[in-house]
Amino acid sequence: MYVIPVRLSAINDILIPALIMLGAALLLGVLIVIVSNIFKVPRNEKKEALMDALPGANCGGCGFPGCEGYADYLLTPGANTSLCSVGGAECAREIATILGTEAVEPEKKIVVLHCQGTRDHTSPRYEYLGTQSCHSAHNLLGGPGSCTYGCLGFGDCVAACAFDALHIKDGIVHVDREKCTACGQCVKACPKKLLKLLPADATVAVRCSNEWPGARTRKVCNIGCIGCKRCVKECSVEAISMNGSLAVIDQSLCVHCGACVAVCPTKAIAELE
Amino acid sequence: MEQMMIILFSAILVDNFVLSKFLGICPFLGVSKNLKTAMGMSAAVVAIMLLASAITWPIQIFLLDPLNIGFLQTLVFILVIAALVQMVETMMKKAMPPLYKALGIYLPLITTNCAVLGVTILNINKAYSFLDAMINSFGAGLGFALALFLFSGVRMRIEKSDIPKALRGLPITLVAASLVSVSFFAFKGLIENIFG
Repeated sequence: MYVIPVRLSAINDILIPALIMLGAALLLGVLIVIVSNIFKVPRNEKKEALMDALPGANCGGCGFPGCEGYADYLLTPGANTSLCSVGGAECAREIATILGTEAVEPEKKIVVLHCQGTRDHTSPRYEYLGTQSCHSAHNLLGGPGSCTYGCLGFGDCVAACAFDALHIKDGIVHVDREKCTACGQCVKACPKKLLKLLPADATVAVRCSNEWPGARTRKVCNIGCIGCKRCVKECSVEAISMNGSLAVIDQSLCVHCGACVAVCPTKAIAELE
Repeated sequence: MEQMMIILFSAILVDNFVLSKFLGICPFLGVSKNLKTAMGMSAAVVAIMLLASAITWPIQIFLLDPLNIGFLQTLVFILVIAALVQMVETMMKKAMPPLYKALGIYLPLITTNCAVLGVTILNINKAYSFLDAMINSFGAGLGFALALFLFSGVRMRIEKSDIPKALRGLPITLVAASLVSVSFFAFKGLIENIFG
């Protein structure tokens, strides 16, 4: 038979401690209410409305630390209301309505990888066994690929993307246009500076960043720009210029005729998918 | 003075709260992903440990012990610490917004953290004086910070390594945590040799 060693008294040993706890809890509860009333932070309704209007992705694409940082900046007079590339035109309109200013349409952009050097087009120079990151691979003789300008494919940009818009396939990264918000985090993450923001209506781009002379480029990649200048001659609006032996398209002049795509012998100039 | 040094260094190294006593494992695994959040959390833990000890020690000595209700220790301490952190949070929000931004999100995480409750109860169990208790809490907080600092470094290495698929994520983190913990056993006997 189980015997209780010490005789418990219902009042002294249970009720009183329970009442003490109840009293302490009530006291602290009241204290919290008093303290929170004294230290009340006045709510800024305009800021809260702005926070609701912003997408809340906290990607930093606007150049401020998160959506709250941008909301704080918007409250200063004369602030640029069209910096949020994630929310786009709709978000810019909403912000302008809240602030009572003229809506400014933000320029729509898209990220484009300036490299097409998949495994079929390039070859490895050495076997890389180090840390699986573009930055470390880049530091080891410019990476294991035959072209030291090309995409390394370890996905530093994929890790930086908050919108799941980048995916590695065949050793290079592919941009999902539907998901890309042009926040620019991947542009900062790429050690080769291969990802660039282009206007969303761009149809063609020189998808190569190799500045070597043509003969040397040909040896490392069969889809690189060899600097033949045929596109420069073909372009009717002189939108293409040469940077050493790499063609560069000025997107503000481009009329999207596609003539350069047709003449490019290596297919380095390609229509954007 | 020597007594204080012994308490301080035992709390940091030999009796490290995370790696030797296995208290506060949840934030140890949760916020050690990068150095910035780890240091923010550590600063919050040091502050709350000091504050909680400063409040609970007098409660035990001047309230619970004389009234003979020492068995209510755990309940009262949890209640007091939770309420305390809540009040500190509201005050900080008003008085020091930058500090609130840096530590704010970590404070609610600590309210019922076992490392904080652990240090307050250990202070009483070891019969420390008020000053010793404060030194012990400070050392415990620093030890927590040290563990988080070391482990966030380890985790950043893990993140960049090619890990077998089956071990990715939590498994490799736990294995790494146990290895870091084993390394702290090397400090056993250190204090006796230095001060003894």
